[in-house]
This record gives sequence, C-alpha cells and structure tokens, in this order.
Amino acid sequence: MKFQYFPHTADIRMKVEGCCFKELFVAGVLGMANILKEDICEPEDSFDIKSNIEIQATDQTCLLIDFLSEVLSHSYSEKSIFCKVIFLKLTATDIKADIYGKTTIGFDEEIKAVTYHEAEVVNSGGNTWETFIIFDI
Amino acid sequence: MKIKKHDIIKKEDFLWEIPQTFRPQMLVPARVIASETLLDAIMEDRSLVQLVNVASLPGIIGASLVMPDVHEGYGFPIGGVAATLYPHGAISPGGIGYDINCGVRLLTSQQNAEDIKSKLEELSKEMYAQIPSGMGKGGQIILTPKEIDEVLTKGAEWAVDHGYADNQDLAYMESNGRLENADPAFVSEMAKKRGSDQLGAIGSGNHFVEVDYVEEIYDPIAAEAYGLSKGQVVVLIHTGSRGLGHQVATDYIRKIMAAMPNYGIKVPDRELACVPFNSQEGENYYKAMCSAANFAWCNREIISWEVRNAWKNVFGTDIAPLKLMYDVAHNIAKIETHQVDGEKLKVLVHRKGATRAFGPGFEDLPKEYISVGQPVIIPGSMGTCSYILAGTNRSEEISFGSCCHGAGRKLSRTAAKKQVNAPVLKEELREMGIYVQAGSFKGIAEEAPVAYKDVDEVVETIQNSGIAKKVAKLRPMAVVKG
Repeated sequence: MKFQYFPHTADIRMKVEGCCFKELFVAGVLGMANILKEDICEPEDSFDIKSNIEIQATDQTCLLIDFLSEVLSHSYSEKSIFCKVIFLKLTATDIKADIYGKTTIGFDEEIKAVTYHEAEVVNSGGNTWETFIIFDI
Repeated sequence: MKIKKHDIIKKEDFLWEIPQTFRPQMLVPARVIASETLLDAIMEDRSLVQLVNVASLPGIIGASLVMPDVHEGYGFPIGGVAATLYPHGAISPGGIGYDINCGVRLLTSQQNAEDIKSKLEELSKEMYAQIPSGMGKGGQIILTPKEIDEVLTKGAEWAVDHGYADNQDLAYMESNGRLENADPAFVSEMAKKRGSDQLGAIGSGNHFVEVDYVEEIYDPIAAEAYGLSKGQVVVLIHTGSRGLGHQVATDYIRKIMAAMPNYGIKVPDRELACVPFNSQEGENYYKAMCSAANFAWCNREIISWEVRNAWKNVFGTDIAPLKLMYDVAHNIAKIETHQVDGEKLKVLVHRKGATRAFGPGFEDLPKEYISVGQPVIIPGSMGTCSYILAGTNRSEEISFGSCCHGAGRKLSRTAAKKQVNAPVLKEELREMGIYVQAGSFKGIAEEAPVAYKDVDEVVETIQNSGIAKKVAKLRPMAVVKG
C-alpha cells in the first residue's frame, strides 16, 4: 500500500496503490491525511475521535472518491485528521467503515475537494489496485 | 487527444478557434482569447483539451470559451465560460467550481500611499490580527442553524442587518450581494456545519487581503466614476464560500453524476457531470449554489468589517471610512440574456475563473457606473500589480459579457516550492516596500509571483481583444495570506 504525489498546475495529483482493494482505500486515506498535515498518521497508535461512514456508489471509482470526500468532510466538521479505517463492509459499490482520527488545530494544506477527474480504479495485475486522484486545492 | 497549433484557426487578432468539426461530439466551436505568445503557453497543459470537452455540454450555445489567464483544471478549465440555453440546457456544478462565488472586492480609502507609509507595518500586523486566515481556520462569528439559513437566504444583507456593514455597500455588489433563488433547504447539514464558524475568514491557497495604491490611471473618466485617483490607497479582498461552498459542490456533483443516465447524458470527464437546468436535480443544485453564493458575499462583507476595524485601530476614527467600489464573483452561474447569432436568448452562463464584464448601459449597475461599464477587478500575484478594468459591450458580442479573473497559474505548487526560497522572497518583497503577513512560508512559496503568468500581458491581451478596457493599475503595499 502506498501513495505518491505528482505535480499539477494548480492542484495536487496523487497516485495510490493497494495490494488489495481494501488497501487502496487505506492508501487514499493516509495520502490525503499527509496532505492535510504531514506525518500526522505516524505513529498511528493513539486516536481521539471515531466516525462512521456508509456509502453506496455506482462503481468502484466513485466509491473510492465518495469515501475520501466523506472522510474529508468529517475532517473539517470535526477538526480532525483521520488515519485508520476499520472496514465493516466493502464491495465494488458499497462501503461501511469506522474511521479513527486525531483532533488538530489547523491544517498544513486546505483541500477544497477530492475530484473524480483522472480517477479510474483499476486492477493493475494480481491483486494490486491503483488510481490517480486530483485534489482541488 | 492532443491539440496542435494547426488545429487552431485565427479568427481575428487575439481570438482563436478550434472548429466544431475538430471532434464529432462538439456542439459548438471552442474559442480562446489570447495573444499568440499566451496561446503557445496555454498549449503546454491540457486546458484546450478540457475546453473542447466543454464544447460537448448538452444545450451549449455560441462557443465554449477560455480567457488568457486559463490553466488546466479538473473537467472544466480554470478561466472558462460556457453558456447553455435556458431552461433546457445543462447546468454543471463543475462549470462553477468547488469554491462557489469565489470573488474579489475593492475598498477605496481617502488616503494616499505617502500618508500611510509610516504605519504600514503596524497596519499589516493589525489586519493579520483582525482577519482570521489559514487552513481550516474559522472566524469570530459562530452561527446558529437559524442564523446560517438567514445568511444563505440574504447574503450580504445579513451583515447589514446585524450591524457589520452599511446599507450602501449592497448597491456596489454584483447582484447586490444576494441571489433570489437561494433556498437553504437544499444545502446539506454537513455543508451548514462546515460553514457555521467560517464567516469572516479568508482561508488559504490563493486567497488574500491586500493593501495597494493606485499607481497609474489609464481611463480618467471611468476612474473618476469608480472613485479612483493616482496615489490613492485601496484594499483588495479575495475569497469565497469556504467549506460550505466546497461541500455544496461535492454533494451535488455526486447527485448529478448519479442522475445523468436518467437524461441520457454521457460526458467525457466525470467532473463535467450535468443535468438539464429544468430537471429536479438541476433546480435543486441551482438553489443550493445560489445559497452558497450568498454565503460568499456575506463572507466578503464580514471581512470588509474586519478590515475597516483594523483601519480604525491604526488610523483612528477621524479618517473617512473605507468605501466599497465593487464586488464581483468569478466562480458562478447566472441566468442572463445575451445576443447569440442575432437572436436575444435567455442563457445560463457558467463562469469558472471568469468575471462578468458588462459594458456601459447595464442598468443594474450603481448609477455613477452605468455610463462607463461594470468594474472588473483583476488581482495579480503576490508582489505584482493588480488591475481595475471596465466591462465593454464587445464582451457581450464575443464572451457572454465575461473577462479574465487574474494572472492565471503556470507552475504547480510543488514546482513553486522547489524554485522559491520563501524567507528570501519575503525579504525581497519587504525591500520592494511590501509587507507580507502569512500563516506559513509554504503558503508564500506556493503563491510566489514566479508561479503565475505575467498579469501585465494577460491584461494587455484583454484590452487588445476589446472585452474590457484598462482603468487603473494597483501596486501592492501589504499582503495578508492564510
């Protein structure tokens, strides 16, 4: 599971990879958290907030983007950054998960939105999944 | 798809066209307002591919257009205009952007640059203290659920009703700072929660409050009408609807994407998601968008109150209060009437990173502006000049009464951070007489002048294309950033 950032004229382009479908979502959460506040998810042993997310989407790409959008909304409304995901259900079009985070005062970067632009969740061989994600900054 | 120079036809000086025949899905041609130098620069990213995609929006008429400050966005390019036939044509949240009613306003003082020079550092610190800024930071006002609904309904008028502004400010704002179609019932609880503590806060990114002085007057008649004179100190405010607007866009792009199959709509990029304006989903989004736009106008009004407080704290209460010259949106969709192929039509104009620029005779302007046209405010980058332009009737002929919105980014944030030493830049700006108060050096590096196109060239192109004319040039003296 990993995330990597690439240049974009005005925004942030991130590539996420997971060694399984579930890990792709974890990589997305950690990559986004790292933009909001660098290295906040290390160490990941102590969390002071928990939220629940339940989403249905038309396909796996929308599911990932909608899930990350929801995590982002919780970050702003609860002034927290989320680092850990416990999956209660995950299919290609449904997710139910508990997310765990750390409260924070301010962020390093303000993400306006997780966009669908360039996102295409694909199985890149074996059980590996990947996609690009553009964050509107 | 790659667009090459030979795919582009020169229609006239400063106006280029990718013909409708370029791709079968295009419903109208795609047009670029630019000098040849800027066109070459624009071709380096994917702005034109995105412009061509916009030309396939259901119900689009005339042409899809980009301004000389355009750069690649997500779905729609930033710096674009698309008009769709009202009420059956498409409404697309991506054509407005996540920061609904991001915009600029200009406050004018009766002081000259020389008058305030000795107190400039104190003023910049006081403004930084008065105006909450920075990533995810809230403001001084915490709205109850009832109050936030009032803000979403009334816009800037809410600030007047609650003693934050004088009634006369409202006349100097696009749409008087309030869109009548707003309905808070169509704004999610999450969006309201995110907006509840954000009134009066500028946020981060390219948002700022800047003290400038008028360095040059190009059009004395328009300048006089706008109340501008050489040497005069003015204040530019650039921000939008904050997390509330971001959440409205996120909520509705998702809803509209899910609804598209019901209307048989397919788009080449999910961020172009759209539905007919007169569909249930289209009307609901428009009501929510108008609500978020009203929040943004109220936000800029509360920030003006904070700036006015800083001014009083530094210069005392004997000086004349700061007057609002004008407030314009550059991320919005408006129902307007335009002449298309000789026919007057009601259209929905999407402006994403583009400013309304109506010419002389437009009756909704303050009466002293009617004869010279609508003020258009073009902020440059931190440390470079900004411009005040006047809209022209030519803009209604070729760009649905629209013009550019800034200098336009050319470097990624990553590239800017690699190239710029922020502490050194801050010192260089200080030596140029510009005080910068910012939440982080990272923010200064990302917004450095080198990250933007040359605003002088962008504005010169606008002037030469005839869609707006230069009125005044502003030079920065102090910048407050998130």
